[in-house]
Amino acid sequence: MTGLARTIEALLFIAPEPLEVTTIEDITGEPASEIAVALGEIRERHADDTGLELAEIAGGWALRTRADLAPACDRLRARPREDRLSPAAMETLAVVAYLEPVTRREIGRLRGVDVDSTVSSLLDRGLIEEVESPGPGPTTFRTTTLFLERFGLARRGDLPSLERFELTGPEAQALRARLQQAELIAEAETGDG
Amino acid sequence: MPALDASAALTQEVEIDLFQGPFDLLLTLLLRDEVDMLELPLADLIEESITPGHEERWDLDAASQLVLLLAAIADLKGRRMLGEDAEDEPDVDALAMRDALVARLVAYAPFQRAALWMADRLRAAQGPRYRRVPPGTAAPVPVQDDPARLRAAMEKMVEAPPAPSLDHMGVQRRPLPELLGRLRESLARLREVSFEQMVSDCDRLEEALTLLAALELVRRGEAELRQDVPFGDILITGTRA
Repeated sequence: MTGLARTIEALLFIAPEPLEVTTIEDITGEPASEIAVALGEIRERHADDTGLELAEIAGGWALRTRADLAPACDRLRARPREDRLSPAAMETLAVVAYLEPVTRREIGRLRGVDVDSTVSSLLDRGLIEEVESPGPGPTTFRTTTLFLERFGLARRGDLPSLERFELTGPEAQALRARLQQAELIAEAETGDG
Repeated sequence: MPALDASAALTQEVEIDLFQGPFDLLLTLLLRDEVDMLELPLADLIEESITPGHEERWDLDAASQLVLLLAAIADLKGRRMLGEDAEDEPDVDALAMRDALVARLVAYAPFQRAALWMADRLRAAQGPRYRRVPPGTAAPVPVQDDPARLRAAMEKMVEAPPAPSLDHMGVQRRPLPELLGRLRESLARLREVSFEQMVSDCDRLEEALTLLAALELVRRGEAELRQDVPFGDILITGTRA
């Protein structure tokens, strides 16, 4: 391994959270291109048969344990709290992840329901946070480093494009048909009463 | 999207004398009264809907929905045939509202699907563990000021606050037994005592308590009270010889 790779490996070992490339640049004084090469070396060194792997996560780089070693790791340290998110919470989280920074009102408008309690619960879980803004205006929210780690995302916006999830023409048509159907049935039922 | 698959039966083509096209278009026309419900050959429609060529595409949800729908159409047609008035005009507001609702659901659907993707992602990313700063070993806050000043400030924080003072509340205690004793003494000497005299040098509280003491003596049968005129003096007379 080159000297730079050794240095970065040491930094990754002691860093309490994913290390940004700019931080590594500051510490080592080496350009990003060299750092990328060194990271490649570290990745190779921690190949499949080792306990650690190099991961680009939450806007930086981290040495993390391999997934199959989770049971042993959890005997040393309590396993991270599981995020059992309700569908409503997951959808709200998706809205924040795609539109961040986003206001409570914008979330509510999309969801079509009051989102206060869902937003509070996501804040409590540390999956979203308020964006500190100097000026006045409504509070905006964004996802946190914890969110990126939990969902294994390399950085903010490391998500499939939203267009991929849009309804196709026939699906939208089917949705419309379902509503019409509901309306017709409602009309028949109203008549009964 | 299983919820949408259930509508597959709705988008299938139907071919009856009155109408040829997708089933949901027929529904639209019925709702807008552009197809006369009375002329709708219901039996043909049902037969067309459940022909062998179609049935294998249905799941239970789709089939239930279709049955419900056909029943609703039969119900509506039945009532029209019995002479019940149809709604005069298709409700423009309702149509606009439905369009708005469809638009909103279409706009929101990508987020619903993204949420499903994220749920999968969350499950897949559960394995790796990351380094954490253990609780209690956070870096100490650097002291930028004079340590002596910090110490003085800390000392103020641990100092016990002074006990609250009740001086301003002016608590006065005049136990009733003491006043009872005084009253008894006076009665023993004089047999009859004027209330006004008894309380001539008392404050309002003592005056009230003295009256209470006098009433207490009456209750115990040791004295009698007499007041000749309203608001006049009260004479307290001892009943014991």
